[in-house]
Amino acid sequence: MTYPAQLVELIEEFQDVDDQMERLEMVFEMADEVVLIPIDDWSDRTRVVGCQSEAHVRVSLDDGKVLMASAADAQLVQGLMGILTIAINGSAPAQALLLSPAFAQEMGILKSLSPSRSNGFRNMFDKVMLEIRGLVE
Amino acid sequence: MALRDDFPILQRMVHGHPLVYLDNAATTQKPQVVIDAMNDYYTQSNANVHRAVHTLAGEATDGYEGCRTRLKTWFNAERAILTSGTTEAINLVAHAWGRANLVKDDAIVLTEMEHHSDIVPWQMLAEERGIEVRYVPVLDDFTLDMDVYAASLEGAKLVCVVHTSNVLGVRNPLEDIIRLGHEAGAKVLIDAAQGVPHDRIDFEAFGADFMAFSAHKMCGPTGIGALLVRPEVFEEMEPFMGGGDMIETVTIEGSTYQTNEHKFEAGTPRIAEAIGWDAAFGWMESLDLKQEHKRMLEIARYTAAELRALGMTVYGRHDDADSAVVSFLHPTLHSEDLAHLLDAGGYAVRTGHHCAQPLLHRLGISSTVRASFYLYNTMEEAERFIAQVKIILERFV
Repeated sequence: MTYPAQLVELIEEFQDVDDQMERLEMVFEMADEVVLIPIDDWSDRTRVVGCQSEAHVRVSLDDGKVLMASAADAQLVQGLMGILTIAINGSAPAQALLLSPAFAQEMGILKSLSPSRSNGFRNMFDKVMLEIRGLVE
Repeated sequence: MALRDDFPILQRMVHGHPLVYLDNAATTQKPQVVIDAMNDYYTQSNANVHRAVHTLAGEATDGYEGCRTRLKTWFNAERAILTSGTTEAINLVAHAWGRANLVKDDAIVLTEMEHHSDIVPWQMLAEERGIEVRYVPVLDDFTLDMDVYAASLEGAKLVCVVHTSNVLGVRNPLEDIIRLGHEAGAKVLIDAAQGVPHDRIDFEAFGADFMAFSAHKMCGPTGIGALLVRPEVFEEMEPFMGGGDMIETVTIEGSTYQTNEHKFEAGTPRIAEAIGWDAAFGWMESLDLKQEHKRMLEIARYTAAELRALGMTVYGRHDDADSAVVSFLHPTLHSEDLAHLLDAGGYAVRTGHHCAQPLLHRLGISSTVRASFYLYNTMEEAERFIAQVKIILERFV
């Protein structure tokens, strides 16, 4: 899988870290990268269903480019949203749709990407991709 | 601790740290004897049970039925139906007894403390049959409202109660629940998934009509469990799943059924799992479970007290008969974040609603972190766990 340059850089940064706690700390810091959906705008339409935490995403097009806004009550989930934001915001929808969720495994953040009810990242990723598809179809 | 040497998985490292496994209320680890017993079956005796006359089939049958015999001895029960676990055992009661004995406007009494596996089957049956489902509330001290329970029994045909809450660790006043249920003319089902790992129950003396539980929460394999049934109630059950092994004769006009437990075990059963479970009982036989329970509860009490001192809310009371489960929440650090950070240090805990959403709703929360202790856990592990929580709070809060 070829990733956008900004994501490749992030993957390498994460791979350079051996300590899992330190890696998670880096994900926590990524929570600041999201375009935040204010809590008052959280709704069933933005909710990521099946997440253990309260997680919300909204995708729109800004001048034909993807603009993902998001928020979560779990810092780790919002950190993953921040990484996804870096990966796709400003991309053409077709390019964003090429992204595989496997990058989270390559970064050493998640062991499993199965779309189970407890895998907030996968559910969030799938919802974002579904919304992008909805915008271009 | 010599007992730990029996569990090969406890030697493994997670993220470069020794595994500290504190997710025992979800499933327990397996001693080497269980792993060996299942491996021996597949390498030496693999065959289908009951029908064939060859040597391997005899060994497989002896192994499978040996588990049933062990269950009957361990629990002093006359009827032990082997199922895939607690969930299937409860569903079996709903289908085999419920459908044959419950009609429109009958009532079933549940509690807010139940696991989803003791709620959903009854909701499904209630919808199908027009049955009323009543729920006994949980009080602020994490116990059941027994006054409401007593009042809810009028006209009830069945009571279904969890032995020990998988979230709170609270052991319910089962003797009173069973007695009052029977006085009201109701049958009583106990979901003992979290009870039997800590408490060697005498089913006959206990007095419940049904008791459901799983092997994997007591050092046995996943995929197998049991339903104990009082003999007179067993006779009120109709076959649920049809197929091989549960019949006496089959003609094109119709079938007749076995009269023993096989009537409810259609198809090829879980042979290796039964053999593994039998080995787990054999391993546990040498332990003083009462003494072990006291020891585990001390670990849980220490953990709960330390977590409270760190500003956590602990959901549970840890009375003498309760299980060694500690559910807790930090006021700001999300349960999922805390669990990931603990995992980074090799600590396996559970987060989420623990398949008990009505209980969590009652508590006004959507998830907890749950540390649950079992036979191989030590006080030293609990002390390291608390030290790790402190490190996380200092670094991330």
